[in-house]
Amino acid sequence: MTTRRATAEPRWVRLLLTAVALGFLFLFLVLPLIAVFWEAFAQGAQVYWDALQEGEARSAMLLTLMIAALVLPFNIAFGVAAAWAIAKFEFRGKSLLTTLIDLPFAVSPVVAGLIFIILFGAQGYLGPWLAAHDIKIIFALPGMILATLFVTFPFVARELIPLMQAQGRDEEEAAVSLGASGWQMFWRVTLPNIKWGLMYGVILANARAMGEFGAVSVVSGHIRGETNTLPLHVEILYNEYNQIGAFAAATVLAFLGLVTLVAKTIVEWRMRKETEMLTAELPPEKTELPPSVATERP
Amino acid sequence: MSIEIRNISKRFGNFVALDNLSLDIPTGELVALLGPSGCGKTTLLRIIAGMESPDGGNVLFGGEEATHVHARERQVGFVFQHYALFRHMSVFENVAFGLRVRPRKARPSEAEIRERVMNLLKLVQLDWLANRYPSQLSGGQRQRIALARALAVEPKVLLLDEPFGALDTKVRKELRRWLRRLHDEMHISSVFVTHDQEEALEVADRVVVMNRGRIEQIGSPDEVYSSPASPFVYQFLGNVNVFHNRMHGGWAEVEREGDAPGAGSIAFVRPHDIDLDAAPISGGMKAVVSHVHRIGPLVRVELEHEAETIEVELTRERAANLELSAGRTVWFKPRQAKVFAVGAAPAPAPKQPFLF
Repeated sequence: MTTRRATAEPRWVRLLLTAVALGFLFLFLVLPLIAVFWEAFAQGAQVYWDALQEGEARSAMLLTLMIAALVLPFNIAFGVAAAWAIAKFEFRGKSLLTTLIDLPFAVSPVVAGLIFIILFGAQGYLGPWLAAHDIKIIFALPGMILATLFVTFPFVARELIPLMQAQGRDEEEAAVSLGASGWQMFWRVTLPNIKWGLMYGVILANARAMGEFGAVSVVSGHIRGETNTLPLHVEILYNEYNQIGAFAAATVLAFLGLVTLVAKTIVEWRMRKETEMLTAELPPEKTELPPSVATERP
Repeated sequence: MSIEIRNISKRFGNFVALDNLSLDIPTGELVALLGPSGCGKTTLLRIIAGMESPDGGNVLFGGEEATHVHARERQVGFVFQHYALFRHMSVFENVAFGLRVRPRKARPSEAEIRERVMNLLKLVQLDWLANRYPSQLSGGQRQRIALARALAVEPKVLLLDEPFGALDTKVRKELRRWLRRLHDEMHISSVFVTHDQEEALEVADRVVVMNRGRIEQIGSPDEVYSSPASPFVYQFLGNVNVFHNRMHGGWAEVEREGDAPGAGSIAFVRPHDIDLDAAPISGGMKAVVSHVHRIGPLVRVELEHEAETIEVELTRERAANLELSAGRTVWFKPRQAKVFAVGAAPAPAPKQPFLF
């Protein structure tokens, strides 16, 4: 009998499974990424650079960053509030709220976009009123922000709910019994405890906000230089057979993706370190020895 | 400061946690709320702290109505079973928290905060850990820091929720003696919740035995142990042999005169209140030894008597003299018993592990 752990698979099974996983990753992730950069630089760095400098590409990048910057604060506020309510209190409709938070994951982004068209579009329910007051939502920045908010709002809350549930209410209760106001409790106790989870949620939400295509595409109207985000811009250029331009813009998105991955890894590492700290084996209770005895030990 | 609890009741859904309960806690006393889990003791403590609001009844602090005073204004120090230290703050900042969150006018200066925190840390003998984080401390150290933190706001009342429940036996013993000393030095009223009878009997001035949202008995540790007011208290505090209304050899006739005819009664006898002999004793009953357990300084003997198991506790010496071993025939005789009418007996409490 060979000495093998009872639960271990044979060596060839492990190698095969690893090879399949790595091969799949290479074929579907690494290869396309290389192709994007390859195509973008097909006619040299100068052409690539010029394609990025072009006015419409620049405005698409700016718009993408602006939408992400405007959406994230709402995401943080909503996500923390929802997670707080769900994790720390018992109330009627709690499970309904938990389900509703997941709705944007379940609904196709195109449907989300259409909902806003039906609500705020020229022929929509609120369209005439908005037109009368000269407020533009659809085919303008507000509509794109709403659509992006819709598709990104679950990220922060979903990240925080299990974290806050695991942490319980003890620390908050301790803070209140020590005389802290609700606000002090939040800033001094709750927020520091959830900061890495929050950061993780924000990174994911940000990646989605910058990469969102479907919902934004429906409400944007594709007005060049005005309501074109980077993903929409890529599509337009590609449809116009502007290979270099499309792939150059795509490299920017790919680069943002890589930055996200790095940030995510760093945050994950920090979170793991903190959980390790919390669950670490306790050292044995130190018995108080007189100093002379303590120093005698080697 | 004295605490008065008047007709407090609290339900969670269909579960009655507290059932019209009243209790007075005089100034300066160390009171233990003792009972099995689910008896409402922690709920009562949380209502005193203002972390839970009662469905009915009043809480008075020093004679003043406090039922609806917010937890942050009650000036109550609360110590949690699982410490609830702020994990991202150093030990120093944990203890300083209550001083730092005070409104600007009432907040002490940085130098004062420093002095007071260090004094408290010296009091709990952990000033050498001021810069550590809670995750770097042992359980006993964490609970002492939690105590220092609760004391930093100079509470009038100290409330402790199973403060030693998560610690191992040796540390627990040390900490409870230390809590007793601390309580005596601080001159405050303290209430602590425990399910450990030994802890309650050793530390408290008064023990409040609770069961199913009601108080079964209030008394000094000696009173509740030696003259339990109800079968529940008898069974909850220490080991006990239960004799139902039956004839036991020459000894027992447990029906009392005052009882209604037909109403049975139950006799309770502590294992250490039974005499054991190798030779027949007058009025004694015959039994066969089924097991002999040597536990520390005591020997616990299980007897088989008319298909009933009876526990007897002896000193090691006595057991050695009797040369006890399984299968031997012995005679036993209860020295004292406590009799309750059957109607007064609730469902028997789960047997507590014997602690010494």
